[in-house]
Amino acid sequence: MGEVILEMKEIDKTFPGVHALDHVNFEVRKGEVHALMGENGAGKSTLMKVLTGIYTKDSGSIIYEGKDIEFHGAREAQDAGVVIVHQELNMVGHLTVAQNIFIGREFKKGIKIDDKKMNEEAKKLFDRLNIDIDPTATMSDLTVGKQQMCEIAKAISHEAKVIIFDEPSAALTESEIEDLFKIIRDLREQQMAIVYISHRMDEIKVITDRVTVMRDGCYVGTLITDECTKDDIINMMVGRVIYEEPKTKSMVAPDAPVVLKVEHLNAGKMVQDVSFELRKGEILGFSGLMGAGRTETARAIFGADPKESGDIYVNGEKVVINSPQDAVKHGIGYLSEDRKRFGIVVQKSVAENTTMADLPNYIKGIFINKKKEREVAQKFVDSLNTKTPGVDQLVVNLSGGNQQKVVIAKWLCKNCDILIFDEPTRGIDVGAKNEIYKLMNKLAAEGKSIIMISSEMTEILRMSDRVVVMCEGRKTGEIAIEEATQENIMNMATREIG
Amino acid sequence: MEIKKSKKIFKQEVIVFLVVIALLLFFCLMSPDFRKYTTILTIMDYSYYIVLMSIGVTFPLITGGVDLSIGTGLICYSLAGGYLVVHAGWPTGLGMLVSILFGVAIGTLNGVLIGVMDLPPFLATLCTCMITRGLGSICAKNFGVSWPTAGTPGSWFRSIFKITVNGTKLPLGFVWVLMLVLIMNFVLKHTKMGRYTIAIGSNKEAAILSGINVKFYHIMAYVISGFFAALASIAYSAVFATVQPGTGAGFELEAIGGAIVGGVSATGGAGSIVGSLIGVFVICLLKTGLPFIGLQANWQQIVTGLVLIGAVMVDIIKRKREKK
Amino acid sequence: MKKIKENPIVKKLGFNRIVLTGVLILMYVLLSLMVNNFAGLPRIMSALNYAYFLGFLSLGVTFVIATGGIDFSIGPVMFCCALVAGYSLTSKGIPMLPSLLISIVVGLIFGTWNGYLVAYWKVPPFIVSMASMNMAKGIASVFTKTQSVSWPQAAQGGWFRNLVKVGKFPVGLVVFLCVAVICSIILNHTKAGRYMLSLGSNREAVRLSGVDIKKWEMLAYILCGILVGIAAIYYVGAYTTVQPGYGDQYNNEAIAGCVMGGTSMAGGLASIGGTVIGVFIIALLQEGILALGFTKDYQLIITGLIVIVAVYADVMARRRKN
Repeated sequence: MGEVILEMKEIDKTFPGVHALDHVNFEVRKGEVHALMGENGAGKSTLMKVLTGIYTKDSGSIIYEGKDIEFHGAREAQDAGVVIVHQELNMVGHLTVAQNIFIGREFKKGIKIDDKKMNEEAKKLFDRLNIDIDPTATMSDLTVGKQQMCEIAKAISHEAKVIIFDEPSAALTESEIEDLFKIIRDLREQQMAIVYISHRMDEIKVITDRVTVMRDGCYVGTLITDECTKDDIINMMVGRVIYEEPKTKSMVAPDAPVVLKVEHLNAGKMVQDVSFELRKGEILGFSGLMGAGRTETARAIFGADPKESGDIYVNGEKVVINSPQDAVKHGIGYLSEDRKRFGIVVQKSVAENTTMADLPNYIKGIFINKKKEREVAQKFVDSLNTKTPGVDQLVVNLSGGNQQKVVIAKWLCKNCDILIFDEPTRGIDVGAKNEIYKLMNKLAAEGKSIIMISSEMTEILRMSDRVVVMCEGRKTGEIAIEEATQENIMNMATREIG
Repeated sequence: MEIKKSKKIFKQEVIVFLVVIALLLFFCLMSPDFRKYTTILTIMDYSYYIVLMSIGVTFPLITGGVDLSIGTGLICYSLAGGYLVVHAGWPTGLGMLVSILFGVAIGTLNGVLIGVMDLPPFLATLCTCMITRGLGSICAKNFGVSWPTAGTPGSWFRSIFKITVNGTKLPLGFVWVLMLVLIMNFVLKHTKMGRYTIAIGSNKEAAILSGINVKFYHIMAYVISGFFAALASIAYSAVFATVQPGTGAGFELEAIGGAIVGGVSATGGAGSIVGSLIGVFVICLLKTGLPFIGLQANWQQIVTGLVLIGAVMVDIIKRKREKK
Repeated sequence: MKKIKENPIVKKLGFNRIVLTGVLILMYVLLSLMVNNFAGLPRIMSALNYAYFLGFLSLGVTFVIATGGIDFSIGPVMFCCALVAGYSLTSKGIPMLPSLLISIVVGLIFGTWNGYLVAYWKVPPFIVSMASMNMAKGIASVFTKTQSVSWPQAAQGGWFRNLVKVGKFPVGLVVFLCVAVICSIILNHTKAGRYMLSLGSNREAVRLSGVDIKKWEMLAYILCGILVGIAAIYYVGAYTTVQPGYGDQYNNEAIAGCVMGGTSMAGGLASIGGTVIGVFIIALLQEGILALGFTKDYQLIITGLIVIVAVYADVMARRRKN
């Protein structure tokens, strides 16, 4: 490890209603891989966005190469050698790989862009990284993993001194992760400073030199990786929050009836021959990497996307589901991973969102019975413990956790017995997370059946009665909670299919 | 993969080109009067201003926007320049310069409204469409303007588009138009301007994060559109005897329709200038050909509308298939 | 400022609408001071004539904009309705009542066509509008053989003019306000309106709630079409003659009334009351521009600028919220 190249001191940042960063300290040295860890919403990404100038900090200082600096936007940071490889890929699908890598700083021959030279340079970059991608391929034709490699190549081409990886492995298969680690080790050899944001404990132990942990927007501490155990890190991450106890055995009665049966479901590349059963009162965890096809499976079952083939049985009867309307008719509700886009109508009130799926039951003559609507909404606000000033409050003004509760209320109001929770705690702060867990357990105990898609291993192990694992659009395993461990789930999730 | 993709675009252009040929054959078969050299001249005369508008409007379309002001704009620029030439005694060249500057100014206004102030493109340009119509009438004091007719002094610009050699009229304008098509094809495919236009239409967020001055290039797309609408106004002035205030509405449909028929995606991100050129000829052929088979001129408006909707539907179906 | 906005009476009426009413009154006072005889009844009647047909157009397009779409074919479609119906009446010998129905049916057909393409085919609304605008002009020209059509005066059996006014009593105003109230009820108190607004705000969320969004989105365009058909009747009721190939300028004026009234171009937020006041402002403005001695061309320019300012205000308001 070399000298400190970048130091962030006492960084403070407040968003309306959220103290996102509370005097956070962070440093990274040349030739080290420094992990930045924390639960969802701990403030890791925010900190990195402050660093690269996407957000402006309220107070604190950033010292880079011995100088006090502040970047105004990603471009400035890039030019100075601080580059971020984003979790969500920032690619222009219609352009080629090389055109994407050099976008914003094209080589030119007169006024003409020198595509030939760009292709050559891109090839050189890929050779240096030992990856095999055709620079002239159109971006949107590549797999997610390959696109990520392009992002990394782009970062390196900036003469970067500090590279930030924001959950780079979330979408990668095992062999791709190995490739990634090889690249990272090479970069470390070349004395680059690397910040590695990840959830995966195993990776942290393998690839990083030091770990900095954040919790609820605060700096918790920095450890040297070799000198600490997984438990040390977990303790720092979780802190005071007491979660629902992890399940050690299934809570479902052995004779519980099957409420949903999916057989040989096919829908595009991401859903291939998926079959499973869901029992009454069960929480069925769906585990896998980002892009494994879990959300696509859920959307196909729910009729949100077209499917090619496969049978769905609800309560033993074969049903046809071609649209969300059909699914809702059969008592299936879907809580999307992206609440703001697919779950709630933010400009409408809590009451209006609650009755969204069940509005026909609130019609008197041709008018909406707003009194009844409010009463029912209030009932759900009380029973789910939603924190809102009133049912007329616009949903946009609620916090993430409470928005999630409004979506749950929507499906309970429609009396759905089968609920698909897609990443139910994404973007929800730590305290509210536990409440959602409690709520899910309560619903299951009341006889609702839940499919829970989650990328967080701890969440899967904590909540599921049974776990289905997917990889590259196929179901690669199914395991009872009694036998499930991080290792065997991970194995199934990265299983290469021949 | 790249080869496959470019093949796809190539294919669309070829198909549309075949449609043009088929239409030509159809009209030739149906009407003896159509089989004349003068018909070609007429088609060419009608095509110049539409092709020019189409070249320009391809840029806003690729950014995912649209420019509805080009039709009435064209008339407005021609009226403004023409008024100065005819009634104020300005030299023809200077009048044209005024037309072009006017077009660039309106294009810049559109660009600022859309790129900087974030107004929806169709609404902003709908407003400038009305504004240019009003301005045009005011400039010309509500009278039609006749640019110098052939043979009179200052009419040199008419022979840019049509020259008489040994008693035969030659559609010289097509050469210039073709040259502009090739130049703008180069701009779209091989310069920063074009590349960033595609980037804005494909993934604006990514373009911003790459440090591109997105606002500037967004404005430029509309400036190009305005500039070409102004060039189209010169072609229009040169081809037609009189320019009437209050007209021009509907020209934009022909230009945008041509571009979309030629493969420009109505949702942005993809398209080519050569495609737009070929697409325009579908529209022009319909426009000139329909009267020959006994349908009055206004049928062309209906058919153009249907062709546009049809082209967009084909695009939508194609993209759905590609997804699978 | 904040205090005023949170006053319960102000809240009930809507701050925006109070301001707009103020603007309307101020405009009227100013014009009365600037122009001789502006304050008299004739000017008001003239402005009202303008407000009727524009009002129906504006109400119609409010539904469409509420769903996050746009329809700028309404002006030419209104002319198409008036021409097809008028030609049927004057040249094909169809009686008055069926002719009026034809006007509404033509509007309905265009609305259904637009709505079908937008909702079921996902053709971008601006493309649909552009195509319909020209098709409406083309159809009207073809149908009437490019002749203008004059609807009969009251004395020659044009009883429909009683829908506009009887003697000096503005029947049209009563009808317009009644229709506005019905529209307001549809938008705010029925399932259709709730779904239209919701899908304008977040269409995927509504679809994933198991709602048939295509049906409701198409319905917005159909309602718009019917209202355009009614607008056509009021247009000829006031101005008698229609000419094929025109009507574009009313698109902008109708959208102006709607957006000024607080309906958001992004969809999901619409106010019928606001639209009504917005329409009166636009109508008074057109009347004022002519009274001040300017030509129609200035109307185009000023309306264009108003839309730009109103939409920009909406954009800024949304930016501030985020």
